Amino acid sequence: MTSEWISPSSRPKPIEDLVSGVDRYNPSNVGILEDYLYHQIRSEEYDCLANLAILKLYQFNPDLYNPDVVINILLKALTSSPSPDFNLCISLLDERPANTQLDEPDPIPSVLPLLKTLHNLLYRCRFPAFWSTYRSEEFESLRDNYTVEVAGFENAVRAVAVRAVRATFTRISSERLSSYLNLEGNELKAYIQSLEWTIDNSTGVISVPPNPDNQIEATIVQESIKLPQLTKILAHSLVKS
Amino acid sequence: MSQQRLALWNTEEDLEEDVDLLAIGNYGQTVYDDAHIPQPQIDESTLLAMQQHMAQQAAFAQIPDVVKSFIVHFHQAVLDNNLAEITVAYESGWNKYTEKYYARTEWPEAELIAPLVNDDPIFLILYRELYYRHVYSRLQPNIDDRFHSYENSCELFNYLLNSDGPVQLELPEQWLWDIIDEFIYQYQVFCTWRSKPNSKNQEELMMLAEGGPVWSSYSVLNVLYSLMQKSKINEYITAQREGKSPEEIAEIVGEYGQRPLYRMLGYFSIIGLLRVHVHLGDFTLALKIMDNVELNQKSPFTRVTACHVATYYYVGFCYIMLRRYPDAIRTFVTILNFIMRMRQYHTRSYQYDQINKTADRMYALFAICHALSPSRLDDNIANIAKERYGEQYTKMSRGGSDALAAYEELFLYACPKFITANPPPYDDPEYTNNLLASADDESNAPASQPDSSQRHLELFLADVAAQLPVPTLRSFLKLYTSLGAAKIANFLDQDEEELVQEMMVLKQSSRSISRLPGTEGNSLLDGQTITTSDLNFVIDDNMVHIAESTVGRRYAGWFIKNTERAQKILDDIKNMPLPAPPKTSTDAAPAVEAPAPSRKPGRGGQKVAWAKV
Repeated sequence: MTSEWISPSSRPKPIEDLVSGVDRYNPSNVGILEDYLYHQIRSEEYDCLANLAILKLYQFNPDLYNPDVVINILLKALTSSPSPDFNLCISLLDERPANTQLDEPDPIPSVLPLLKTLHNLLYRCRFPAFWSTYRSEEFESLRDNYTVEVAGFENAVRAVAVRAVRATFTRISSERLSSYLNLEGNELKAYIQSLEWTIDNSTGVISVPPNPDNQIEATIVQESIKLPQLTKILAHSLVKS
Repeated sequence: MSQQRLALWNTEEDLEEDVDLLAIGNYGQTVYDDAHIPQPQIDESTLLAMQQHMAQQAAFAQIPDVVKSFIVHFHQAVLDNNLAEITVAYESGWNKYTEKYYARTEWPEAELIAPLVNDDPIFLILYRELYYRHVYSRLQPNIDDRFHSYENSCELFNYLLNSDGPVQLELPEQWLWDIIDEFIYQYQVFCTWRSKPNSKNQEELMMLAEGGPVWSSYSVLNVLYSLMQKSKINEYITAQREGKSPEEIAEIVGEYGQRPLYRMLGYFSIIGLLRVHVHLGDFTLALKIMDNVELNQKSPFTRVTACHVATYYYVGFCYIMLRRYPDAIRTFVTILNFIMRMRQYHTRSYQYDQINKTADRMYALFAICHALSPSRLDDNIANIAKERYGEQYTKMSRGGSDALAAYEELFLYACPKFITANPPPYDDPEYTNNLLASADDESNAPASQPDSSQRHLELFLADVAAQLPVPTLRSFLKLYTSLGAAKIANFLDQDEEELVQEMMVLKQSSRSISRLPGTEGNSLLDGQTITTSDLNFVIDDNMVHIAESTVGRRYAGWFIKNTERAQKILDDIKNMPLPAPPKTSTDAAPAVEAPAPSRKPGRGGQKVAWAKV
């Protein structure tokens, strides 16, 4: 389950060596990792641990710090909710003095609160609020400067909503799902089809296929006794006989 | 004559100040109050030298004789690689004389005791290691102490890593752990101290500006990784797990890894890195570094109790930050049970207090996890945690508005110290000038680096805040098997859509990634999604269906425990000498007693209490 997170199958061998070795501390490797991040941005791949390695290098070498890279990492981490990736990234962002030698003002202080807001809405499953916030004027610069570059960003957000819906619902109305996915009409239909969910055309209610999380059953868990628990008692009787 | 003498006194006072200043330049703590001995008038430098010499002699004379002979003895034990004697000197001798003579002052400086140990450089490094550790734990280290303790650590690690081949030195495991542990501790307090620019004077600022690699994160990581690589510890653990023969292992780990000193330092460096990464806020890397270490009671790192406890504390904390509360709970339960059992044996260990403090913090962390992810893993530990943090626990598990303050209180109390990897820009002259200029004027003083704990606290509280409605919802759903979402919303005085979204949060918070039993050899990051709650529900359009799994009463554990106990009592009784035989049954007694000795070493009785530590 977590193995794909620890080491995604899409991760190339050189990156794997870098991330799991001591070479991850070598500042001259930051370029390789940054290129890999931009590859993720373009091709809808995601590799949390490799991105954390970039932030680690920034933590130790403030002169390497590149705010655009940081924002892209956070955008990728955002859509892995409810995994803790976003928080793990923020944990590595040490406070930096305001007067760092950058040509332009550091965008992080203004962008970070926006990203945190979005993360909070996603983590709390407030999907309709997420979309209205994300579409609002305040977030325009974030959209125009950053998320537009991240291939499939909106679909990645939808995937977060789909994960939550799949675990919670057996059936859900189209209006509700539409507000979670920010899709309407044919777009919604196409999306539902791609998920292989079915829609009842007369009522507009969508059925979510059964999965381990949306199947409920009242059970009584009985204890089961394993042999190793009894070894001492059995061994004792053995000595006696 | 008397006049001359007066003059001499005067010059001497001046000189003494000089000596003092010099001493500050070097080590900065000696005050020679016994140096007021009249001397013939000679030229200044000779006088100074003599003065120093005499002052040293006077200071040397002040060292109690028992301490001198302790040091000589200690040195001999180290020369002989006599582990038993070193352990006695290290664990009891040093602490005994600290209490007696140096509770509030430094131990004599290494230079002073050098003649006692034939200027043995290695022993002097080890001595300084203890000397500085004492300064850090009992007194206020000044900037010179901080810099010199770093230099000394470097000398020690240089000696170990860069001599021609492995060194012949042997030290007790406890000491080796303490060396690594203290190294990281001093790094952590240095970073914390460094992040507060306002309390620094000019001299300190200059030293910080030129400090370079002193206590830099890179140098600390470098030492720990070098020790790991030199000792080939990961290769060693893998080879051992694969069941290789001692000869094969010896070949794999090479000349360094074969020596217990290097092997243990390698082990402890892994744990050290776990800790450093947590201090720096890198919780995944912290767990990843432990990939090869099996977290069980048989691992070699458990032989040093302080190390054992620290390992579980940091691992458990990482799991909290990864939102893996069931794993955190399991980690804390294991170690807290261990601490409880060993309490009766370790009360006099000099680290007992420290271990107790860590345990107390782990109970607080346990209470946090238990409130976020209620489980019935261990009632015993849960009860102690509720006893100690009852008030906070009640608030946290109730959710709602009071809860956040309780979470914050316990988190701040129990979390590790977080540090900022880089100093404020002390090497920027403009910055330091501003600092000095603002020293008199507090209003425009530059702010300290913000405390990193606040950042982690904020992240944690945001997670918690998202879950605050969960306890209410959960207790409400428990009352029903199915009901409409609109009805629940109505009961809770909420908008229906809001409520449905909160139900998704409830679902989310009753799932967690967790390590599975039987995968102990795998990475600590491994895991599968599991259900953490007895209460399950699903929404069918607008209808909520609820199902609860109940756990049948558990009898087995109780019966097994008591059967074992009964067997032990029976064995004990059988092994007891019979009471003075009543006159009538004299010939029956030997028959009963005879088989008893053969039973005694039986596998049953003796092992019962301890086998499953």
